[in-house]
Amino acid sequence: MRASMAAHPITTTAPDQTRDRADRSRVLADQVELLYRQAPLGIAVTLVIGTILAFELYSSAKIGELVIFWTILMVVVCVAWTLLVVGYRYARNRDTNPESWLRRFAIGALAAGVTWGFAGAVFFPGHTDEQQVFLAFVLAGMAAGGLPLFSAVWWVYALYAIGVMLPFEVVLLTFGSRLFTELSFMIPIFFAINVSVAYRLNQVFVSGYRLRVSYGRLTEDYTELNQRLERQLIELEEVRRQVEASGRKLALFAERAPIAVLELDREGRIQEVNREAENLFGYPAGELVEKGASIKILVRPSYHAEFEEKWQGLLKTRESMAGLKIANPRRDGIEVVCEWTVTPLVNSDGSIISIIAQGRDITQQLEADRLKQEFTSTLSHELRTPLTSIIGSLQLVNSGVLGDLNTDQAELTEVAERNGQRLLDLINDILDIEKIESGKLTLFPEPMPMDELVGESVKLNQGFADRYEVKLATHGVRDIVVHADRKRLLQVMTNLISNAAKFSPSGGNVEIGMTEKDGRVKVSVADRGAGIPENFRNRIFGRFAQADSADTRAKGGTGLGLAICKRLIEMMDGSIGFDSRDGGGTVFWFELPVYKSHA
Amino acid sequence: MPATPLQKVFYAEDDEDIQRIVRVSLERIGKMTVKIESDPLKAIDGIKAFQPDLVMLDWMMPGMDGPTLLKTMRELPETADYPVVFITAKATQKDHAELLSLGAAGIVSKPFSPKDLPDQLRAIWAGLP
Repeated sequence: MRASMAAHPITTTAPDQTRDRADRSRVLADQVELLYRQAPLGIAVTLVIGTILAFELYSSAKIGELVIFWTILMVVVCVAWTLLVVGYRYARNRDTNPESWLRRFAIGALAAGVTWGFAGAVFFPGHTDEQQVFLAFVLAGMAAGGLPLFSAVWWVYALYAIGVMLPFEVVLLTFGSRLFTELSFMIPIFFAINVSVAYRLNQVFVSGYRLRVSYGRLTEDYTELNQRLERQLIELEEVRRQVEASGRKLALFAERAPIAVLELDREGRIQEVNREAENLFGYPAGELVEKGASIKILVRPSYHAEFEEKWQGLLKTRESMAGLKIANPRRDGIEVVCEWTVTPLVNSDGSIISIIAQGRDITQQLEADRLKQEFTSTLSHELRTPLTSIIGSLQLVNSGVLGDLNTDQAELTEVAERNGQRLLDLINDILDIEKIESGKLTLFPEPMPMDELVGESVKLNQGFADRYEVKLATHGVRDIVVHADRKRLLQVMTNLISNAAKFSPSGGNVEIGMTEKDGRVKVSVADRGAGIPENFRNRIFGRFAQADSADTRAKGGTGLGLAICKRLIEMMDGSIGFDSRDGGGTVFWFELPVYKSHA
Repeated sequence: MPATPLQKVFYAEDDEDIQRIVRVSLERIGKMTVKIESDPLKAIDGIKAFQPDLVMLDWMMPGMDGPTLLKTMRELPETADYPVVFITAKATQKDHAELLSLGAAGIVSKPFSPKDLPDQLRAIWAGLP
C-alpha cells in the first residue's frame, strides 16, 4: 500500500533548469510566431506604399530605368518574404527550432529595410523639394510603421530600421544643404527613440508570453496533480476493499476455527471471543465480554500466581508464547486442558494493542495418551505373565524331566513352545518400538570393550546357530572400547547374528568382524544367504519389514528387529547399514564412536 | 563361594502357576528342596521355620511387595543374613539398580526359562562370599 503511494509522489522533482530552458524556448517560439503572423500586413503595406512611391517617382524621374529596377527589387523582396511566411506556416520545427526561423525573418526584415533605404538614398537627391518631402515622409512612416510589426523581437526591428535609415542618413550628410544636415542629426535620435520603444515593447511581449507559459505550466501541473490524486484515491479505495476483505476472511477463520480464540487487553480482560471459545468453556460471549471478565476465570485459582508471572513476562518481552498446557475450569466447573498460544499484537511504535490467546482442547488427546500408556503397561505385565507360565510349562514338558512323550505329543508341545516364544518376542519388540518412539526408552551407557561384547553375543547365540547348523566365526576382534548400553547393544548383536544364522545355508559360516577407522569402530555380521531382494532394500529398516511374508512362517521373527536395531544404534550416536557381498550374501554392519582405543 | 552347594530355596510368590513351574524346575531339574509361600505377610515366619540357603522374592505381591519384604527381613536378626534373589518382570536397569542397592544378591528376569533357572540360581550362589 505504502509502496504504491510512493510510486506517485505529489511533488515533482524535475530539474528546474531544464524546465527554465524549455520555457524560454517556448517564449521565443511565441515571439517568432507573432512576427510571422504580422508579416502579411507588412508585405501588403510595402507593396501598396512602394507602388504609390514608384508611380510618383517614375512620372518625374530622370532615370526611369532605376525606378523600374527598384520596383522589381521591392516586389522580389515581398515575394521572397511571402514565401518565407508560407514556409513558416507549414514548418514542423517552428516550435522546436524558433532560432533558425527568427534568423530567416531577420534577414527578410533587413532586406525590406534596405529596399526602403535604397529608395531614399537613390531617389532623394535628384528630385524636387515636394518629392523630397514626400520621400522623407514615406521613409519616416515606414520606419515608424515597422515598430508594431517587428518589435516582438527588438533587434529585428533595429536591423530593419538601420536598413531604412542608414543609406538615407549617409545621403543627407553628404548632400551639403544646411536643412539636410540638420535633418541628418535628427535621424539617429529618431532611430534611438524607435529602437528603445521597440525594446520596451519587446520586454512587454516577453513578459506577457512568459506569463502565458507559466500559467499553462501551472494548469498542466494542476491537471497532473488532479490525475495523481484521483489515481491515489482509486488505489486507496482498492486497498480499503482488500483490507476489509482480509478482515472478513480473518474474522471467518477465527469464528469458524475449531480452536478457542480470545482477544484480551493488557489487563487480561476479555475483549472478544469466537464461537469455539463459547462452546469449549460454556460461557456465552456476552458474559465474558460485556462484563469485562478477566481471563483468570478460565484459570484454576491455584495456578493464578504462576499465571500472573507468565502474563507479566509476556507484557515485558512482547514475545509470543506457545505450547502452554493449562487446566481451564469451564462454567460448569469441569476442567478441560488446553494447549495455548498467546501472542501480543504489537503496534509499530512497540505498544501492545491487544493479546490474542488461541487454545486447543487437548483433554481427549491427554486421555488418549494416558490410555495408550496404560495399555502398554498392561501389555507388558498382563500379557507377559501368562506367557511366562505357558512357555515355562511347555519348556519343562519338552525338557523330558517329567517323563518322555510320544512323538506326536512331543511335536505338538514343541510347536506350542516355539509359537509362545514368538508371541513373547513380538510383544517385547512392540514394547521396545513403542518406548523408543515415545521417547521413554532410557539408555544406560557405560564404557564397554567390544571384544567382550562380541564374545558374549556369540555365546548367547550359539544355541540358535546350532539349530540352523551354522558356525559363528570371528575375525579382527580387538579390545576397542565404546560408550554404549550393554543390554541394548547385545540386543542389536543378537538380532544381526540370529538373522544371519536364519538366512544362511546349513553348514555355512556367519562371520563377525571388526575394523576401526577415523575414530569409529565398525562391527560387521556377514552371511552367505540369498541376499536382500532389490525391492526390499529401502524398507528393510522399517517396521514390520520382511522380504517375503512366507518367511515369517518359515523363519520366525517379528519384522521389527532391524527397525529396533536402527533406532537403538542411532540413539548411541552410531549408524547402521548393509552391503551386498561379493560371491553372494549380505553384510550387516553398525558403527559406533570409539570411546577409548587400546590399539 | 559358600562351602555347601545350594540346596534349600524359599520362594514368596502369589501366582500359583509360576509357583508350580518354579517348583518343578528347581525340584526336578535342580534337585533342590523348595518351600513356597503365597502370602508375603507369612513369609518371615516361613523363612524362620524353613531355614533355607537362599530366598527368592517376587516384586509385586498383594499385601506387601518384594522390596518391602526384603527391608523387613533385614531389620530382623533371624532373617537379616539370608541371600535374596528377586524374580521380576520389571526389566529396566533402574529397577535392577534399586534392588541391588537394597541388598539383593541377584535378579532373575521374568519371563525366565525354567530349564535354566537352577543354573542361574547356582551362578548367583557361587558369586556369594
